[in-house]
Amino acid sequence: MAIDRRRFLRNGLLATGTVITSPWVFQTGARAAGEVKVGVLFSLTGGLSIIEKSLHDATLMAISEINAAGGVKGMKITAIAEDGASDPKTYNEKASKLVIQDKVPTVFGSYTSASRKAVLPVFEKRNNLYFYPTYYEGFECSKNVVYTGAVPNQQLSNFIPWIIKTLGKKKFFIVGSNYIYPREMAKVSKILIEKNGGEWIADEYLELGHSEWGSMVNKIKSSGCDVVLSNVVGDSVVAFYREYKNQGLTHDKLPICATVTSEIEIAAMGAEYAVGSYTSFPYFQAIDTDRNKAFVERYRAFVKDPKAVTHHALESSYFQVFLWKQAAEKAAEITPVGIREAVKGQEFDAPNGHVKIDPDNLHTYLTPRIAQWLPDGQGKIIDAYKEPVVPLPYVAYGETPTNLFCTGKGLETAKLKT
Amino acid sequence: MLEVLFIGLSLGSILLLVALGLAITYGAMGVINMAHGEMVMVGAYVTVLSGIWLGTNIFVAIPLAFIVTALLGLLIERVVVRRLYGRLLDTLLATWGIAILIQQAVRLEFGLTFLGIHIQGLGPGLQNVAVPPFLQGTFSILGADINRYRTFIILVTAFLALMTWFIIYRTAIGTQVRAIIRNPKMAAACGIDVTRVNALTFAFGSGLAGVAGVMMSGFKTVFPDMGTSMVVDGFLVVVMGGVGSLLGSVLSAGILGEINGLVAAATNDILARAVVFGVVIAIIVLKPKGLFALKGR
Amino acid sequence: MPMKRRIDWAIYAAFVVLVMFLPLVMDAFWLNRVAKYLVFGMLGTAVALSWGYAGILNLGQGLFFGAGAYMLAMSLKLASTTSLQQGSDKPVPDFMLWNAEPGAPTELCCINKASFLWLPFQSQWFGVAMGLILPVVLATILGTIVFRKRISGVFVSIITLALVLLVRLVVIDSQPVTNGFNGLTDLGWFNIAGLEFDPYIVPTYYLVAVSLSLVLVGARLLIDTRAGLILQAVRDDQNRARYLGFDVPAYQTFFFAVSAAIAGFAGMLYVIVSEFASPTFMDLTFSITMVVWAAVGGRSSILGACIGAILINTISATVSETEGFAEAWKAIIGLIFVLVVLYLPRGLAGLAHDFIDRLLARKPAASPQPLRVSDASSQLAE
Repeated sequence: MAIDRRRFLRNGLLATGTVITSPWVFQTGARAAGEVKVGVLFSLTGGLSIIEKSLHDATLMAISEINAAGGVKGMKITAIAEDGASDPKTYNEKASKLVIQDKVPTVFGSYTSASRKAVLPVFEKRNNLYFYPTYYEGFECSKNVVYTGAVPNQQLSNFIPWIIKTLGKKKFFIVGSNYIYPREMAKVSKILIEKNGGEWIADEYLELGHSEWGSMVNKIKSSGCDVVLSNVVGDSVVAFYREYKNQGLTHDKLPICATVTSEIEIAAMGAEYAVGSYTSFPYFQAIDTDRNKAFVERYRAFVKDPKAVTHHALESSYFQVFLWKQAAEKAAEITPVGIREAVKGQEFDAPNGHVKIDPDNLHTYLTPRIAQWLPDGQGKIIDAYKEPVVPLPYVAYGETPTNLFCTGKGLETAKLKT
Repeated sequence: MLEVLFIGLSLGSILLLVALGLAITYGAMGVINMAHGEMVMVGAYVTVLSGIWLGTNIFVAIPLAFIVTALLGLLIERVVVRRLYGRLLDTLLATWGIAILIQQAVRLEFGLTFLGIHIQGLGPGLQNVAVPPFLQGTFSILGADINRYRTFIILVTAFLALMTWFIIYRTAIGTQVRAIIRNPKMAAACGIDVTRVNALTFAFGSGLAGVAGVMMSGFKTVFPDMGTSMVVDGFLVVVMGGVGSLLGSVLSAGILGEINGLVAAATNDILARAVVFGVVIAIIVLKPKGLFALKGR
Repeated sequence: MPMKRRIDWAIYAAFVVLVMFLPLVMDAFWLNRVAKYLVFGMLGTAVALSWGYAGILNLGQGLFFGAGAYMLAMSLKLASTTSLQQGSDKPVPDFMLWNAEPGAPTELCCINKASFLWLPFQSQWFGVAMGLILPVVLATILGTIVFRKRISGVFVSIITLALVLLVRLVVIDSQPVTNGFNGLTDLGWFNIAGLEFDPYIVPTYYLVAVSLSLVLVGARLLIDTRAGLILQAVRDDQNRARYLGFDVPAYQTFFFAVSAAIAGFAGMLYVIVSEFASPTFMDLTFSITMVVWAAVGGRSSILGACIGAILINTISATVSETEGFAEAWKAIIGLIFVLVVLYLPRGLAGLAHDFIDRLLARKPAASPQPLRVSDASSQLAE
């Protein structure tokens, strides 16, 4: 620690020295000869860094692999990584640094919707491009964002019917963290539950980041439900599953079916608490293909942690860089608009399987899968679509594959009327 | 209904677990220790690391965490807090800085990440602690399912509270501590080594936080930022109870816990939390010195 | 002392001139970034006014900042064409549609139970007015209760802290009216007589810079008035001031409300330069951070607190953007806090005052500023 502090001090002084000069030393243009700069914007500090650090690492890994294979159009990709500090204010500031000062043609970033919403004005009003790797609630039709995570129809439209028909559970207790994603997931779930002949008993929320589950689990216990649909996010998940077992509930009688609980949360809670519960995601570390196994190995070597786990948002962070690279090679010029036009319809063999960017809404075709958690902390994939499913960000309003609301021309608002 | 009351009691005991150390450092020494939550976090990491390195369970971690955080507390008192006595709000700011430093030290594995070294159990990720099987699940009393781990927390909290009470009210050093609470200058004039007693008090308060961390690690996740929200709840409890009053902290933790449990059962958790904040505000407005104010000068 | 006061004003003038000339040497990005930091500087000033003069450490200053930000953001949301066309040509924000019950009328008046509150915000100037009025009303109510009941020191801090957390909780939970955790985004640009304040253009910078200059000068004049002097007397010995017959709570409430108004104003400017409002403005961390800015700059110095805020933010940004520091910068900031509290208890302003005193070769006692402010709270330790 002593050495460390000295090091901090010395470097700190150096850094403070540069404060005085740096605002007046401008970098002109981001493209030096033979390299193309991109922004990487995840939280490396603060509460969200738990997950966002792994997305950051996956992005850098993809970039280094592309560089090792010769880069883009013979140019090396240089990542300018900034720290969003788990704070929308910082996200907004760093996004404008990347877009306006560093003039990068694309930024890869964000885990939460709140941080995406905070950077969106920078990308939309400067007409730049943002690649967003996380599953989210939908309801967005921006021509400046490429979404490579799942939207509700890719997590729920297989899951709810499966719970009702295969598991034979009909009474749902819906529980989530109190913000837009869980609330919208609940909304879509309710539509699907009623359509498939089930019923929902309760729809309850806990403050985001809050981890006192005593009362809620007690409520679940006395509610008479036969399945729990969890849209709980973040470190709350861990406390939830632990409390669930500690209050004597078991997944064989009353299973938790989750939309957010991934390998990273399972590892954090201890696999024994989740054994027998279910999750719906397009990607699981357990996907049994050589491509995925090699991916997991490479990731572990990259972060120097032989026990590191991979998960859906991480995998999307990885493959979206390859989609970007293909688009950059196809585009006449590496500009935000050039890449956006070229990324439409781009396809790639990702660790989860074949993915494709929808040319209309810039969301991604993904393969829905359901896994049951095993004692080793891995999912056993027990149900999967044969092929990728079209992304429908407005599915709650009745969007269907043949009647897209969000097209290349923007959102067709007339269709939205409830 | 018994189950609801039990959960309320359990919520209260968790609040008290964190608040106990604060009641000591803040009540006795006039130090607003914003790094208290980070002491809880360090205690939790001691549990994680002792599990990985020594293969020991949560019971061994309790004394270990107490020792580690007490020593850390001693260090902080020596280097920073000692220079700030009597400057209450300055202690808040300085310990806020310390809190950030401790968080970053854990996240960056004491700077080793810069050298490319990874210590299993540290770093920015989530860690977990195995709980012995006999502390998982429930047992039944009067037809109610009672959560074993929460019962364990209540017992530990009760033990710690009694121990603290005993030390403060039934030992020689406790008498000195109480003398310092009432009037540090007069205590010094009576021959009490205020510097030494303060250092020990701070170390003891920090050690209690460490034990709280061990208990938290068993049912919450362990990560570098876990302490920040706890310290706020802890302060609400201590201030509402009345500064310097151990009984006040115990009662206010119990009251807030039961209110939280009952409102959450009747309506929802978010309203329950709002009501808790409202009650704290109302009580400070109505009784500006807290429920049990010391009748000082 | 006149000499010292003249120097004091000269420093203010130098700061204002510096701020006014910055656009000559900066590109669009730094212009916007510095504008954000100037807004934070204004927040530092607000904290100094309530901490250094009204004697209250407000750990919930974010409440007033957030209130100001949300009021203007509501108006700008209704002025944004892109976020209103979602399914309706009527001025209904997009998130209200997503959160609406099936079959609810798509009218701002009645799409949900509380949406009528948005109706007057269709006028931008109503939002601007509310951005000042709401913080002032909140502060007056809070101040009246707190000061009349003679609640002091850390108890006020805890009340403000619990209050900001309570409001944050309510804002997040009221998703149909406030868009919850995501906050208000996709806003229109602030508009004065047809001039649109794009956050990256020079006029927007000047809007912020001129506002800050006016606030600084106004606050400086305010503390030189009779009211300001009485407040300083209160801060140094509340009972004595009370025995002299001053209506102490009234003065304290007045300064508390002024501080709230400045924070609300800063909130509005922040929305203009960053184009969103978020419940994270009411996070505990942010409120404490503001206090730290003021402590670093000098808690009883209006300008010092402002410069402290600007400096800390510039250092954070630069360090975090230095290669290899992206993960370590927070540790450096933490270290700065500790060192400043230990070795510069009066902050940068204290340092500057000592320097000026030495320059004038006068005794420190001649300083018009009392040197210690922490006394306001020391009663607690008793």
